[in-house]
Amino acid sequence: MKPTRLRAVLTATVLVPVLAWTLFPIYWIAAASFKTELALYARPPRWVFTPILDNYQRVLYNIPFFQYLTNSLVIAVGTTVGSLVLGTLAGYGFARFRFRGSSTVRFLVLVTRMAPRMVLVVPYYLLMQKLGLLDTYTGLLIAYVSFALPFTIWLLIGFFVDVPLEVEEAAMIDGCGRLGVLLRVVIPIAAPGLVVAAIFAFLVSWNEFLFALILSGVEAKTLPVVIAGFSTDVGPLYGEMSAAAVMVMLPNIVMTLVLQRYLVRGLTLGAVKG
Amino acid sequence: MRGGAARAGRGFLLPGLLFLFAIDLVPLLYSAWVSLYNWWLLRPRDVRFVGFGNYAGLAADPEAWRAVVVTSLFTAGAVVVEFLAGLGLALLFAQPFRFLRPIRVLLLLPLFVVPVVGATMWRVIFHPEVGVLNYYLAQLGLGKPAWLSDPTLALVSITMVDAWRTIPFMFLVLYAGLEVLPAELFEAAAVDGASRWQSFRHVTVPLLAYIMLVALLIRGMDAFREFDIIFVLTGGGPGTATQTIQMLNYRVFGLGHMGMANAIGVVTLALVAAMCLVLWRAVLPPRREAAPERP
Repeated sequence: MKPTRLRAVLTATVLVPVLAWTLFPIYWIAAASFKTELALYARPPRWVFTPILDNYQRVLYNIPFFQYLTNSLVIAVGTTVGSLVLGTLAGYGFARFRFRGSSTVRFLVLVTRMAPRMVLVVPYYLLMQKLGLLDTYTGLLIAYVSFALPFTIWLLIGFFVDVPLEVEEAAMIDGCGRLGVLLRVVIPIAAPGLVVAAIFAFLVSWNEFLFALILSGVEAKTLPVVIAGFSTDVGPLYGEMSAAAVMVMLPNIVMTLVLQRYLVRGLTLGAVKG
Repeated sequence: MRGGAARAGRGFLLPGLLFLFAIDLVPLLYSAWVSLYNWWLLRPRDVRFVGFGNYAGLAADPEAWRAVVVTSLFTAGAVVVEFLAGLGLALLFAQPFRFLRPIRVLLLLPLFVVPVVGATMWRVIFHPEVGVLNYYLAQLGLGKPAWLSDPTLALVSITMVDAWRTIPFMFLVLYAGLEVLPAELFEAAAVDGASRWQSFRHVTVPLLAYIMLVALLIRGMDAFREFDIIFVLTGGGPGTATQTIQMLNYRVFGLGHMGMANAIGVVTLALVAAMCLVLWRAVLPPRREAAPERP
């Protein structure tokens, strides 16, 4: 069916407000991060202004931003590696081996994602206190791998099932063990899936707030906690807060735009596949 | 499959599964145990076993019941708004138009913004004095609503921000569901003289019912445990106007009342488990009859 002119107009009438509502907050905070103090509080709100970098400069030098950035990065990379290793093994196990109750176990893996984090964090705090792991990378890392892992497993099952069995069998005839097949044959073929899984795991850790808020003090504080700390008062640090917020969401936006095709697949997979 | 396959399979599965169930189960069991004690973080020597005392205290606390009401209102409101908006967008996108792909990507962005950052953006917009929203509302003669400090409005505001963030999810899931519906059915309906509405009501809805249900349940559970957005926007306030069960749990934890905080957690978990059971019932039957699984 060829879209008529009327339909195009109707579509646009719906889409323009929807796009405005979706994008305005992102635009507004990005704009704020480049405004002078004067422009930030100007009435009427300034839509056109001379961009400045002072806010970024102040965030980078006045608070130990680089330390928080390092914390966030180290924990996120660690989460990515941990959930990829465990997720690849388990995903391959689910994709290639059937056993009694395997679909139930697979569903239970997904169920662990459903436990409210507030429920987990209270006993987790007490346990980490006992182990002396409060305010450490390790404490957060273990929690984040457990958050990212269910999704990683489910995503990778989908990609591993797509790898042709004949290729694997050929490698096994050539004397490869199961692990060798996985490392040398399956992983190279399913590499795009691993990249998507890696990005998801990274973002799980990068975005996480509640555990970071409760478990980290000074040493392991991550960027979302810093942002939330700013926003207790919109007043005096409005510009710095905007600059920090933009820097924190930048990796997310870039990853979304670059890998949107895969992200769409990854996100809908759980629900649509059932 | 060959003989050693079962053992090989176990070798692949065990590390991940053991890790997952250990990290989830150990804290939960510990939580259930702590919930039976009168245990204040600042008084480690005065830990007493009280049985179900914390649960009884919870049941008698009007603040807890208030939190249940707030959580239900927020969850129901958010899920209904997001579902209707997501379905509307999915139906719109089901008919191709120009620039569909780039627009779709732009619509997905809020889903990927760090939740705390997304909430911060809205906090700035909602600000009663400096906020851009109230400036233009005042220009239009609509006054300056106290978006986050009026008890009724605050709940609406956090629902709006949650909707901003997760309409894309509903849209994506329903859109993916619509895309795989067989076109012949709609053609047949059109040949039989069905109107747009009739073909939606009698072809689309029944075929999409399963995915709709799953999307509603997943979103319901996510909204139920929402924390970041509420924390940044209102912190549960004003008063207890937006204090969901999660926020109440956080506050009790902050007071150092570990027994009670864990009791709230256990109750929350029971509620979520009930929702999960419904989801399980909804998801498992179609999978059993599914042909060879392909993503």
